[in-house]
Amino acid sequence: MSARRSLTHGRSVLVVSILLGLSPPLPAQEPATGDAIVVGSIGDASRLLPLLASDSASGDIVGLVYNGLVKYDKDLNLVGDLAERWEISADNRTITFHLRPGVRWHDGAPCTAEDVRFTYQKLIDPAVRTPYAGDYELIESAEVLDALTIQFRYREPFAPALESWGMGILPKHLLASEDLNTTRYLRDPVGTGPYRFRRWRTGELIELRAFADYFEHRPYLDRYLYRIIPDQATLFLELLVGAVDWTGLTPLQYSRQTDTAYLRTRYQKFRYPSFGFAYLGYNLSDARFADVRVRRALTLAVDHAAIVDGVLYGLGAPATGPYPQASWAYNPDVAPATRDVAAAKRLLAEAGWAETDGDGWLDRGGEPFRFTLITNQGNEVRRQVAELVQRHLREVGVDVQIKIMEWSTFVHEFIDKRRFEAVLLGWSLSRDPDLYNLFHSSKTKEGEYNFVGYANPRVDELLVAGRQTFDREARRRIYHEVHRILAEDQPYTFLYVADALPMVDRRFRNVRATPAGIGDNFIEWHVPPAEQRYRAVMER
Amino acid sequence: MLRYSLRRLLAMIPVLLWITVLSFGIIHLAPGKPTDVLTQFNPKVSLEARQRMEQLYGLDQPVHVQYGRWLSRVARLDFGRSFLDDRPVMEKIAERLPITLTLNVLALVLVFGIAVPLGVRAAVRPGGLFDRVTTVLVFLGYSMPSFWLALLGMALFSVTLRWLPVSGLHALDAESWAWWRRLLDMGWHLILPLAVTAVVSLAGLSRYARASLLDVLRQDYMRTARAKGLPQGRVLFHHGLRNGLLPIITILGLSLPDLISGSVVAETIFSIPGMGRLFYEAVMARDYAVVMALVTIGALLTLLGNFLADLAYAAADPRIRVGGAQ
Repeated sequence: MSARRSLTHGRSVLVVSILLGLSPPLPAQEPATGDAIVVGSIGDASRLLPLLASDSASGDIVGLVYNGLVKYDKDLNLVGDLAERWEISADNRTITFHLRPGVRWHDGAPCTAEDVRFTYQKLIDPAVRTPYAGDYELIESAEVLDALTIQFRYREPFAPALESWGMGILPKHLLASEDLNTTRYLRDPVGTGPYRFRRWRTGELIELRAFADYFEHRPYLDRYLYRIIPDQATLFLELLVGAVDWTGLTPLQYSRQTDTAYLRTRYQKFRYPSFGFAYLGYNLSDARFADVRVRRALTLAVDHAAIVDGVLYGLGAPATGPYPQASWAYNPDVAPATRDVAAAKRLLAEAGWAETDGDGWLDRGGEPFRFTLITNQGNEVRRQVAELVQRHLREVGVDVQIKIMEWSTFVHEFIDKRRFEAVLLGWSLSRDPDLYNLFHSSKTKEGEYNFVGYANPRVDELLVAGRQTFDREARRRIYHEVHRILAEDQPYTFLYVADALPMVDRRFRNVRATPAGIGDNFIEWHVPPAEQRYRAVMER
Repeated sequence: MLRYSLRRLLAMIPVLLWITVLSFGIIHLAPGKPTDVLTQFNPKVSLEARQRMEQLYGLDQPVHVQYGRWLSRVARLDFGRSFLDDRPVMEKIAERLPITLTLNVLALVLVFGIAVPLGVRAAVRPGGLFDRVTTVLVFLGYSMPSFWLALLGMALFSVTLRWLPVSGLHALDAESWAWWRRLLDMGWHLILPLAVTAVVSLAGLSRYARASLLDVLRQDYMRTARAKGLPQGRVLFHHGLRNGLLPIITILGLSLPDLISGSVVAETIFSIPGMGRLFYEAVMARDYAVVMALVTIGALLTLLGNFLADLAYAAADPRIRVGGAQ
């Protein structure tokens, strides 16, 4: 409450001094506070506690209300957030976090190591319905050394552990006696972040307000308004009337529909590679796909560039492996696949596939090379990619049938049970390059993610080593090798990395695209007073 | 009459039970589980974590056990909690009901207010100019996809002319306004959704009104009424409408469940958080608790609507009452 009062007070001083014709009592280089940003989102949030937030809308809000111990900076390095610094023991099994002093919760209570331990206890509490427990189960003990120091001891070295402490820290003093699954704080969160929760009209709007005592500094934009606009076309019309300040565009909108004079003067468009990739996955227990020559041939036959141009309007890049170029794990020596129909045919011929019966399709032992490519319904981009793949493979004599099905059926009846020949899907990944769950040979049970059944002892070894190594250089070497082997083995045909395409009103200053995207310096965004659109609101 | 009503009411119970059994079975037959949204295709979520979540929600039990638990809770009027955000289902419905009810009641009044007079006027001279023109117009509205009409409306009235807001229910700053200004603001936001709903649903009702009035106008007693020298207006409104609009009562009764079931398309296009989107999102996410609550309430209202229509019929037409009581 006191924070709010002082905030209002500060503004009235400013108003008075402007009325008197004085210059504002702020240093000239200090950006002005005020205004609001309206963010347009397709989906609504569901739970505003970091442990339970699993959709992207909840993630957006939680990211502004809470802080983790660490965060990614603009160059995708892990830096301190609530933690000022940390030490990793020589055996790589102990991490000691030193918290920033003087950090306060939105209600004024101090944030301490007890809050961190509480968060950890809730993460591994079997009664809490969090999907994220996996990263914390290797922790042997959590010891609070003093009010600002906490030490985690791991059963074995686990490099993704550091990233996992980007998890938002919960306020123990408010949540200790609550059932996290149903607590009212799911809809009224209290964190340490730059914005404090104000209101949530389900399916309509979430409003956050600047937290004056934020430990870095008060964010310049007074209000963050998250509008839920479930229809892409409506969202676009809202942009046309200037009712939305920041939203993501589709490739079609980015390249074809936002080039009007009005939109160009009013908005700034950004583009940067997202962390994720689209791929064609082969069921490796199928005798045809078990042959690496066949997989390489199919990759050579697919025209990656044509897919990026035709489906993404050029707003993406052909993938050579699982990492975007911005990642330090990306191996620049892996050459991008260029289409070579002749080479593809040669490889297929080596594998015994030849056109012998004059029907235009390759065959072996009287069986034509024909497989079904399955993908999920409701994703227009995937449907178009599937059709292009079908066309490209036809040119080497491989007959692809496309089957598109409802998501749940697709996952439960076909992927989980491994009843597919080839699948078109995408992964979005975290910043850490760990791929254990995707490519380790132990992860092939029903419902696990190595559903193509990839098994390469060297990759297994590297993936385990990558998890146990903390040194960035050593990890870089490990994942570069993983990247190289995956490109040789082609358990997937890696298709493309799509770009994220946000569009932001030009009145916001300090907006810039970095490898991490555009939101990482959000508290630095500001609007010069003359251009502010939403008036300051009185606190009641 | 009382015994008849009681019997009809009691007969509803097994029907309602059957509806819930069938819906429960069908939604559980659909592949997928409510916990999928939380855990699926997230490489950070382990198989063990997923199975534990299913256990915590009781989803590892056989379907009949789950149904038994659900029924015993519902018998105590507890529809449980949504899987999506762990809020009580009734709270989620209560939050969405007012806007859907407002929208639907207004739309119903608008549609009946326009469609019935249109139908009546057309029936007076079937095949006349008015009949033909309105027929073409209402069918034009009927055959237009509502999302397309809505987008056209937005593009014209909101983007080009800037008269109306594109979507949503409130202005961003409405929170701090006086109640009357908020009310005006909301009315302003509702103009386009209401207009679109009315245009696409005029056809059915106006045709209904026209057809049933025409039937009546051909009856012998109408000729008699005219023959005994009653003025045309009295014939039409007193003898004609009173009988001709009986089927409209049925339609009104059947609209009762529609009052709480919003339109997914309109709500999505206009960013209105109503019951339609609640139901659609619940089905897509396999949020069993919400789906079952809405199906049960919808079924109950359908049965009640039928019952009320029958009662209204009985009041308007004694023959039905006698028939039912036998």
